[in-house]
Amino acid sequence: MKTRSKLLLLGLAALCAVGSAFAQAKKRGELNLFAWSEYIPQAVLDGFTRETGIKVNYETYSSGEEMLAKMMARRARFDLIQPPDYIAEALIKNGQLTPIDREKLKNFGNLLPEFLNMPHDPEQQFTVPYMVGTVGIVVNTEKVKEPVRGYADLFAPKHAGRIVVVDDGRELATAALYTLGKGLNDFSKENLAAIRPVLAEWFKRVKLFDSDSPKTALLNGDVDLGLVWGGEAALLWKENKKFEYVLPAEGAHLFVDLLAIPRRARNVENAHLFIDYILRPEVSKLISDDFPYTNPNGAARKLLSPEQLANPASYPKTDRKLDTFRYLGEDVAEAIDKLVTDLKNAR
Amino acid sequence: MHGLPGAFSANPHARRPGAWGWWLLAPMLAWLLLFVVAPMGILVAYSFGSRGMLGDVEFGFSWDSYARIADPIYLRIFARSIGYAALTTALCVLIGFPAAWFIARRGPGWRERLLLLVMIPFWTSFLIRTYAWIAILRSEGLLNAVLKSSGAVPHVFAEPLELLYTPAAVVIGLVYVYLPFVILPVYASAEKLDGVLIEAAHDLGAGPLRVFREVILPLTWPGVAAGMMLVFVPAIGMFAITDLLGGARVSMIGNVIQNQFTKALNFPFGAALGVVFTLLFVVSFALLQWLGRRKDETAKAR
Repeated sequence: MKTRSKLLLLGLAALCAVGSAFAQAKKRGELNLFAWSEYIPQAVLDGFTRETGIKVNYETYSSGEEMLAKMMARRARFDLIQPPDYIAEALIKNGQLTPIDREKLKNFGNLLPEFLNMPHDPEQQFTVPYMVGTVGIVVNTEKVKEPVRGYADLFAPKHAGRIVVVDDGRELATAALYTLGKGLNDFSKENLAAIRPVLAEWFKRVKLFDSDSPKTALLNGDVDLGLVWGGEAALLWKENKKFEYVLPAEGAHLFVDLLAIPRRARNVENAHLFIDYILRPEVSKLISDDFPYTNPNGAARKLLSPEQLANPASYPKTDRKLDTFRYLGEDVAEAIDKLVTDLKNAR
Repeated sequence: MHGLPGAFSANPHARRPGAWGWWLLAPMLAWLLLFVVAPMGILVAYSFGSRGMLGDVEFGFSWDSYARIADPIYLRIFARSIGYAALTTALCVLIGFPAAWFIARRGPGWRERLLLLVMIPFWTSFLIRTYAWIAILRSEGLLNAVLKSSGAVPHVFAEPLELLYTPAAVVIGLVYVYLPFVILPVYASAEKLDGVLIEAAHDLGAGPLRVFREVILPLTWPGVAAGMMLVFVPAIGMFAITDLLGGARVSMIGNVIQNQFTKALNFPFGAALGVVFTLLFVVSFALLQWLGRRKDETAKAR
């Protein structure tokens, strides 16, 4: 029954696609999309092209900084980018984004208010939330019997050589700030000096730094604990319930990946069409199926299965208000980079 | 280099390369200009610039980026990279020389088959082969499974061998990737070496060690030197293996440079590291050339 209705839907979708392809044949255009690798399902891109006739040129990056570098250095004309919150803040402050025309987004109302008007874009003028996530601790409960509540437990000496962490200096430095009871964006000189010995201890016990796919080492059993992206942890939990996700007791933060239109975009109209397409509940659900981060789209959440909503890494149960990263400026970014490079090579 | 008259050859029958010669050379010159000189120029221009607000480069003339290289952090990484590259080169020569010699001394049929075996890995992407090493070296991987099932020296291997994400894994990966680059040039020199010379040396009373030192090594030295360069130079700059097999815990200078362009967004500093790095290549190349020449001269002087 289920497969049959799916087939029926598929058939209908195909019919619609053929129909709209004819209707739109004259309006054909392009959309130069610059997005994270492994974040937009191919089905979503194909669906958009089928419906609008707009060809999507899809280029990817693996860190927000890499996106910024390529966007600025090549003077490349991207129509739609997918920056994380603090990078978007920098772009907004430097006048690098085109304001979003809310009139063109009839699905905008699907977004949950808690993910709007956040500090990176207080007026919600330039960005639209794509997916939201946390960075937390994954524990293989078959191998680790003692409870792990926070960074102190994760990096305990007995776990030396069994830990994978994201290879992201700012994330690790922030975790160290939390451990010292400081605010997540408070990288003063004193705090930078204070986190140094903390990170130095931690780094000695890390077996592997990996931002691209930290889940792999956990899945293979090469490590038993990790500090990883929430979406990666959600995939692990989906695979095997032995992988428990913990929001660190000392402090955790939220990251928001956004859709935004660069100042020099050529196909602004198409970019709006794509954003509105993404905001459709059924499309947004497709993204959640493949990449189980926290979906900021309230209407899409209603379409998710109870199992998806119960995934603790996608929708952590917490009463804490989670803050986001702010743009810190080049000097702080450089100081963090230098600190991490130094500590990695101290051994 | 006999037989081919050069531009300033004493041979009166040699023709000077006319306009036609330059045309033949043009594609290569254009290639060099476009892909060697121009990028190098951009790199040098970047390295004297400074970092803008959003990671863009503001051109200017400042030595700041070069001054930063003198920071002990980066000097240590440079030193470590040289260390890893030197170890890799040494291991590659130790393993590659006997292998090449063995292949070169077989009959023509065997020679071809053995050479094919050396080249087959090139048919697969280097990244995929490196991922294969992850599968081999993992704590629950192939190597440990073999060791366990063979029951060899059980008291040593009671615990699985923890190789992946260690410096040892990085060296294994580097040696694996670069070994053919020693075998092939050494083979080329060894194959040309006339066996009669070795027999003559033996007849004149030289022991095996002396034959190796005074006949085999000098005659295959061009191959060995070429192999050493081909391994040492790219090995210093390697960053993929340190990330994949070293778990990004061991950085080499290639990782630092890559990081400046993709994460730290300091193009001028990354460029300055690149320029220094290139100079290092040039110096080590010149050094090897000079060593080779000196060997020739001492050989002639004798």
